[in-house]
Amino acid sequence: MVKNLHPFTLFMCFFYVIFISVFTFNPMFLASGLIGAVLLLFTLDGIKSAKILLVYLLMIVVISITNPLFSHNGATILFFINDSRITLESLIYGINSALMIVGILIWFNCFNKVFDSEKIMYLIGRFFPRLALVFSMSLNFIPRLTAEYRSINSAQKTIRQSRIKRAAAAFSAVITRSMEGAIITSDSMSARGYSLKGRTHFHRFRFTPYDAFYLVLFTALFVLCVVRSVEICYYPYFEMNVNAFGLVSAISFLALAFLPFILEVKEALKWKLYLSRI
Amino acid sequence: MEIISLKNLSFRYNKASNFALKNVTMSVKQGDFVLVIGESGSGKTTLLRTMKKELTPNGELSGEILFNSEDIRDLSLRDSASKIGFIMQNPELQIVTDKVYSELAFGLENLGVEREAIRAKVSEFASYFGLTDKFSKRTDTLSGGEKQLLNLASVMAMNPELIILDEPTSMLDPISAVEFLNCLRRVNEDLGTTVIIAEHHLSEVFQLCDKVAYIENGELKAFDAPREICQELKHKKIEYTLPDSVRVYNKLGGEGKVPLSIKEARIFLQKNNNYTVDNSHKEYKSNPALKVKDLWFRFERKSDDVLKGLNLEVNEGEIFALVGANGSGKTTLVNLISGVLKPYRGNVGTKSKLAVLPQNPRDLFVKDRLEDDFRLINNSYNELCEKFNITPLLGQHPYDLSGGEIQRAAIVKILLDSPDLILLDEPTKGLDSFAKKELGEFLYSLGVTVVLVTHDLGFAAMYSDRCGLLFDGIITSVNFTKPFFLCNSFYTTPVVKMTKGIADGAVTVEDIIVES
Repeated sequence: MVKNLHPFTLFMCFFYVIFISVFTFNPMFLASGLIGAVLLLFTLDGIKSAKILLVYLLMIVVISITNPLFSHNGATILFFINDSRITLESLIYGINSALMIVGILIWFNCFNKVFDSEKIMYLIGRFFPRLALVFSMSLNFIPRLTAEYRSINSAQKTIRQSRIKRAAAAFSAVITRSMEGAIITSDSMSARGYSLKGRTHFHRFRFTPYDAFYLVLFTALFVLCVVRSVEICYYPYFEMNVNAFGLVSAISFLALAFLPFILEVKEALKWKLYLSRI
Repeated sequence: MEIISLKNLSFRYNKASNFALKNVTMSVKQGDFVLVIGESGSGKTTLLRTMKKELTPNGELSGEILFNSEDIRDLSLRDSASKIGFIMQNPELQIVTDKVYSELAFGLENLGVEREAIRAKVSEFASYFGLTDKFSKRTDTLSGGEKQLLNLASVMAMNPELIILDEPTSMLDPISAVEFLNCLRRVNEDLGTTVIIAEHHLSEVFQLCDKVAYIENGELKAFDAPREICQELKHKKIEYTLPDSVRVYNKLGGEGKVPLSIKEARIFLQKNNNYTVDNSHKEYKSNPALKVKDLWFRFERKSDDVLKGLNLEVNEGEIFALVGANGSGKTTLVNLISGVLKPYRGNVGTKSKLAVLPQNPRDLFVKDRLEDDFRLINNSYNELCEKFNITPLLGQHPYDLSGGEIQRAAIVKILLDSPDLILLDEPTKGLDSFAKKELGEFLYSLGVTVVLVTHDLGFAAMYSDRCGLLFDGIITSVNFTKPFFLCNSFYTTPVVKMTKGIADGAVTVEDIIVES
């Protein structure tokens, strides 16, 4: 499962893919990035993801057709709308932008699914242990505030006043109460020695050879991807020259973008296989 | 050996004219379980806090506090943090982080313990306190009792020699409270940790402790073993809060060993025969004020039913107590009756004007002064305030009031709307015995219909007219209070348990009458 990779390895994987997706305008890269993201989201979320994937599809269509409507560069004219020309090049450019924007959005969506607060805390905590604690405290604090707000608001319902007034009153009461609560929390922290020097950070992750292997693999693929060797121009004609290097880098990115999905599916299949043997 | 000893300890808060503690001298032996009792505001919290360096309040302190024969003020912060643990009343606000495992690790992280060592300690203590299956959970998904256990576990993970607890069970339901106290007993017995605990509800903890300290107006009036101290507290106001077995013993002018458990009380009652039991109860009939018919409710379409065809009739002018375990749907029923939630089948029929007292009475107050909050509803609040004895508090901030005071203020606030029927959700939560007694007497004097849901069986037995048990989505066994408690063998008051088969018919200590 991709979730079980060490947070650092996992983070670098997402970082590489998103980094390249932001800076490239190579349609091969963008298409493989998008497909990799869609497959990953689908394996992570199952049929539930169908809804959001439909929204993403709609976004691709909208962005793709918006560009040719406003940009009329390009030599190959497809047709005219109200005397303005719609060109093939500008449509290709639009599709490319759509792939890039939506691809990055889906990658971030997957990132959210895979990175729970524990992993984020670990990544911050390695470098800023106090900041990680603040993060953890706010994650504890916010649900408590919301629950308190709800219970105050519903208690106030017996008093006849406008909704907005009631919400404002409840909000200010929550603030007062949270400040009072903070005194108790800080007592509880100092009672357990928060002010001492040399605080360590506890986490439950182990960096294993497995994680090292994938970190090296991801990094190698990333290095191969950034070797610039593809020349693309969109206007006036769409042209793309791919040499051997270009092909290698495109395949590397394909591998990089599909690896999270493969990792996810591989173990699901193994699991099925074990079950079938029982 | 003495672990902590106080010598002529006096304390005065900044700007206060009176001393909060006066010449307290006591010493606690290593491994002892010490209970501190006293009325609200008698100085229990101040006493406990002065024993923990980081939490000592601002003020003028004189006398000596020796921890392992070293002055506590000379104790390094590191030693103080790791050797003395402190647990407060509110389970929720003491939790610092968002995950159970990180909360368990919090103290150890502060001490700078290595990661692998933390992992070992944290796993060990999670299993010792039964938190294994909660280990990866978010802290806000735990129940109140589990939260307080987590607080205890995360303090114990630091391996303290002494833990101080300031009313740790007052926000918990009775079952979680007993569970928590049992854990505390195990800590004391297995690990030899010294325990100093302040508590209001004494029936459980009295059996566990080795010594009891009684504080009155900042003075240590008595410090003795539980059986001995019961004699000394006789005829004092605090006697009312002692366990029922002790109260019965005192009432009958007992001689010999003071009974602390139900078992001992039964032996005591069998030997004595200078008492009779008042087993009368009033039965009456009046018009129904609230009719709940065939109520079905669930929170989500696919979740289980919380209420399964619940029926309930409440008569005009009575106090109806609905008891039931945690999560049996008591609060849900209150919300359905008040209209906050809607049932998917059945209906709530009432012509009365309803008012609800929420579980946390502070939720009713949103202004900076009590008075302003009352003005929101009605300007003629003076008479009610006089009756409920809160006139001197009118200018104060609602959050500065004590548990009993805010409860009374909340009742005044809902009464200002002149309702005919009031619903109370766990009104005794966080109240000490005196505040409970006061609340019960006020409810009795109101003359409006009262429905209260509670897991405080003692309170229901004392002050309700009829009782019902909510179980498995319906109300089973509705009856007049006395027969209701007499029929149950487990879900009942300690007095019923100790008199069953010996002198049937008593539900509260008041029902046992001394024969002259």
